[in-house]
Amino acid sequence: MRHLPAIAGRELRSLFVSPVAYVVLSLYAVLAGFFFLLALLQYSEWTLYLQAVGAADQLASLNLNDTLIWPFLSLMSVVLLFLVPGITMGLFASEKANGTDELLLTSPLTIWEIVLGKYLAAAGLVLLLVFLAGLFPALLFWKGDPELGKTASGLIGLALVGLGYAAVGAFASSVTRNQFIAFALSFVLLLLLWMLSVLAAIQPAMGALGGAGSWVVDLLRYLSTEEHFQRLGEGLVDTQDLAYFAVLIGVFVLLTKASVESVRWR
Amino acid sequence: MIEARELTKRYGDLTAVDSVSFEIQRGEVVGFLGVNGAGKTTTMRMLTGFLPATDGTALIAGHDIFGEPLAARRAVGYLPEAPPLYPEMDVEGYLAYVAALKDVPRGARREAVERAVTRCGLSEVRRRVIGNLSKGFRQRVGLAQAIVHEPPVLILDEPTVGLDPTQIREIRSLIAELASPREGETQQAVILSTHILPEVEAICRRVILIHEGRKVVDGSVEALTSEYGTLDQMFARHTYAAEPTGAPAREGGAQT
Repeated sequence: MRHLPAIAGRELRSLFVSPVAYVVLSLYAVLAGFFFLLALLQYSEWTLYLQAVGAADQLASLNLNDTLIWPFLSLMSVVLLFLVPGITMGLFASEKANGTDELLLTSPLTIWEIVLGKYLAAAGLVLLLVFLAGLFPALLFWKGDPELGKTASGLIGLALVGLGYAAVGAFASSVTRNQFIAFALSFVLLLLLWMLSVLAAIQPAMGALGGAGSWVVDLLRYLSTEEHFQRLGEGLVDTQDLAYFAVLIGVFVLLTKASVESVRWR
Repeated sequence: MIEARELTKRYGDLTAVDSVSFEIQRGEVVGFLGVNGAGKTTTMRMLTGFLPATDGTALIAGHDIFGEPLAARRAVGYLPEAPPLYPEMDVEGYLAYVAALKDVPRGARREAVERAVTRCGLSEVRRRVIGNLSKGFRQRVGLAQAIVHEPPVLILDEPTVGLDPTQIREIRSLIAELASPREGETQQAVILSTHILPEVEAICRRVILIHEGRKVVDGSVEALTSEYGTLDQMFARHTYAAEPTGAPAREGGAQT
């Protein structure tokens, strides 16, 4: 694993030398600012409305975490769905397009070093995005008093979603030499993964799958990233949800390794 | 330094390389000849570990490519047909990266890059971005990445293809220099593929000709010239003779 820093470092540098990293970071920052402002305005409008109608108990149940931070983080996870494929699309596809895969595969490296080095670089940029998103809820601690634990677990959830998406994107990039195909493939995979819970929530679909509580519906729910992210957002840090993300990342990193290695089987 | 033992590559029913064996010593520059699709690139890719052999094996500096793949790959400098360059990197940064991949110790990397830059005549472009370099310079960067870790074995796949006559002359003299180094530099075993016969006469002392995946000729340039008159006739005898129409066989077959 001693080549890991060299591979991850080159990957990160190339993300920052090409406009990819800057485009992704600035788009994410702009959207984060916009969505945070939106969430903030909605929150204050809702507060004013409840005060005007004198709904004291509803007003008391209003809190920064559930009414502001969670909707914001949830939107930011949707933005990751679009941006993470942009980060990962070049990981392996561009090596093949450049012919540099021939350099990597004829160097004294293991496939694991190549795959993990590249994944770590993508993961680094994803964590930078989550950090950017985290700055906005952090502002609230200055004027308000959101719950620290709940905010932190929501951000950890966002980070895990991003890391899971990066693993899926890395796999998509490893099966093609065309960056656009890598982008489209990872976007579709992620969208499907995300939509599973939506499918399970639609009444007729649930009926066809055996109704609420049937194992198919439970499985769809379990496979969906949204479901696990939501629980972290509610402040429930459960090993079951952490395990889900670990398995998601692990499975796609393994698939990536197999896909990169498959050059040697042909 | 290089010992190929019945190297074979099959793709389904197609046998791209058929039981090719040869041995190359330190200091030898061997021209690997053949028409397009004869199996040159495939053989080289098997030697470098990029493609696994279906059958047979090879020893690189005494390391079996299957038994000790990492040690074998460490001993090889390889310039593929298309130089494996990252267009967004600068020349020095790229060479330092390759040095790290090839296990040049951290403390020795700067010196290794320096030496490769000097030997390949890259001093004036060392800080330039590779994507902005001319084709000739890119080829030199490709050669520099192959020699940066001073490997005992150098495998060059058509190192002069697509270059202008001046660049071709420069690259050739560089290759000749690599095989007969100055004091303190390592002597290398060099194998280079080409289908340009004057190139072979200019830099190689030995020729291996493969045709339709088989080794058909292996001998010194001198001996072959006296036997056949010219290398051209030798080439024609073994490649076109099998094809009365004179068309090169299996165009674009195994070579990708």
